[in-house]
Amino acid sequence: MIANMSMPGSTDSGLSLRGLSRRLGHQTLLDQLSLEVPAGEILALLGPSGCGKSTVLRLIAGLDPVSAGEVWLGGRNVTALPPGQRQVAMVFQSYALYPHLTVERNLSLGMELRGETRQTIARELQRVLTLLKLDALRLRRPAQLSGGQRQRVALARALLRRPALFLLDEPMSNLDAQLRDDLRAELRDLLGQTGAPVIYVTHDQQEAMGLADRIAVLREGRLQQLGTSRELYESPVNRFVAGFLGSPTINLIRDGEDTQLGLRPERVQLQPASTALPNGWKARPGRVVHWEWLGDRVISHVACGPDSILKVVSKELCTDDDVQVRWRASDELRFNRRTGERLSSN
Amino acid sequence: MARLALLIWSIGPMLWQLYTSLRPTDALTGGASGERAWTLEHYLQLLQGDPPFLIYLLNSAVVGASSTVLTLLLAVPCAYALSRIGRTASLTLSLLVAGAAAFPAVLLFLALLEVARDWHLANNLLALSLPYAGLSLPLAILLLQASFRDIPLELEEAAVMEGMDLWQRLRWVLLPLMTPAMASASLLIFIFCWNEYPIALTWLSRSDLLTLAPAIARIGGSSVYTIPYGAFAAATVIGSAPLILLMLLFQRQIVSGLTQGAIKG
Repeated sequence: MIANMSMPGSTDSGLSLRGLSRRLGHQTLLDQLSLEVPAGEILALLGPSGCGKSTVLRLIAGLDPVSAGEVWLGGRNVTALPPGQRQVAMVFQSYALYPHLTVERNLSLGMELRGETRQTIARELQRVLTLLKLDALRLRRPAQLSGGQRQRVALARALLRRPALFLLDEPMSNLDAQLRDDLRAELRDLLGQTGAPVIYVTHDQQEAMGLADRIAVLREGRLQQLGTSRELYESPVNRFVAGFLGSPTINLIRDGEDTQLGLRPERVQLQPASTALPNGWKARPGRVVHWEWLGDRVISHVACGPDSILKVVSKELCTDDDVQVRWRASDELRFNRRTGERLSSN
Repeated sequence: MARLALLIWSIGPMLWQLYTSLRPTDALTGGASGERAWTLEHYLQLLQGDPPFLIYLLNSAVVGASSTVLTLLLAVPCAYALSRIGRTASLTLSLLVAGAAAFPAVLLFLALLEVARDWHLANNLLALSLPYAGLSLPLAILLLQASFRDIPLELEEAAVMEGMDLWQRLRWVLLPLMTPAMASASLLIFIFCWNEYPIALTWLSRSDLLTLAPAIARIGGSSVYTIPYGAFAAATVIGSAPLILLMLLFQRQIVSGLTQGAIKG
């Protein structure tokens, strides 16, 4: 089942993928992907490595040939156009800056070769150098830049073209965690200003949730679910999506022969074993076997039965050994234990 | 100690030649006179000869340069293609090229001689680049192919996204990053051409068109009664000086790690 395929009416300045597929031999890298990204929206493609998210990017860019389907951009079918004529800019995972050229030349080379006038080049160059605070670095070579600075140059090179679409391939994966958090908001603002649709590939759910307007979760070349972070988090269509979003990951416990319960660690509570259960709540007895104190919260590992460990996020340490893990019945997600599909009981 | 031994081992013969070239003939052949004397007579003799020895240097430089350019012109597209096609095809073709590189070129002389005669290529310096480029190509292709492989594919794809065509990508992105490989390939080709003897000997007969190797050989055979050690040594020194100079010039290019740290931090 593929949910949330409701599309906003096809926009003239947006991106539209129609049944996009890519096969290589017997392997299906991408299967019938259809989605729309209106202008100004940041869409994150989220999934584990090998799920086809980079394939999507390469197909949109025109770097790989499509096996079936069409790419529409700004109201025209660009499927047959070479990459350079699609008005698409891409920021690569490695940033792919030209190592032998200075920052300035890295930015201007493409424009020069496209035959832009000297004035245009100078003006556009100044615009992005200012926008990305690269003025002081214009004569450095990529090897003399930090990871964050390289990312800014790569972004500048993409912005320089005033493209109709931005593609970003894991742009944060080469940066350390601290810098990543700092840059997220900055990147979001910057991309928002351009007004063009943005496709952002990542395997990091926090990055996707923090940056994107909507998230498309991919698995083995198939779209699992498309929606806002909140929709995906609160009503995932299957176990895979539920497990991919949220940290720590969702708890899965057996409930009868065919059903599995999904319990978000931050939506369950720890109570002393003898506490009375309010109406509409469910509970399981357990024992705290391990806990991680993280300052602002505690993650307790609670053994409920022989082989099920539940993670519980709470503000305070629970000092009792024997506890009760309880949750609101309306907060639980039910899955078919075999197929992983979400059961629509609540 | 070991380094010193190695140094003597490799530089010793060159110094011996230099020494020989600066000693009067008498001292070299065991005559008693002038034990301590130094002289430039062998050099002067070479430079004032007919034709002057420098013309051979010039000839060799022309042949070397044209062969190097021709080889690179052919090798760059080959190497690029080999580095971009599928693995199996690339491996098969590379093995074939390596086989060609290992083929003993001596076996080609008779055939080459016929080519020179039938196509009227004898006594033509530029025509000599044809066999030279042919013989250098395999090695150049293998060298450059490895270098193309070392350039991350994303770098070329970034250029593709910017709308650069194949020629622009080669000219502005790929080849500049391959300067070290290009330099070492050029140097190897040039040295091969500079030192090549048998083909030059058979393709060139006019004395003003000779390249260095056959010209030096002629000095050795110029007299039946004496072996002109001094002139021979002087010719060797003059002949190797440009190569040593080139080595020193190119050394920085070869060693410089131009792409270092440029892709990932």
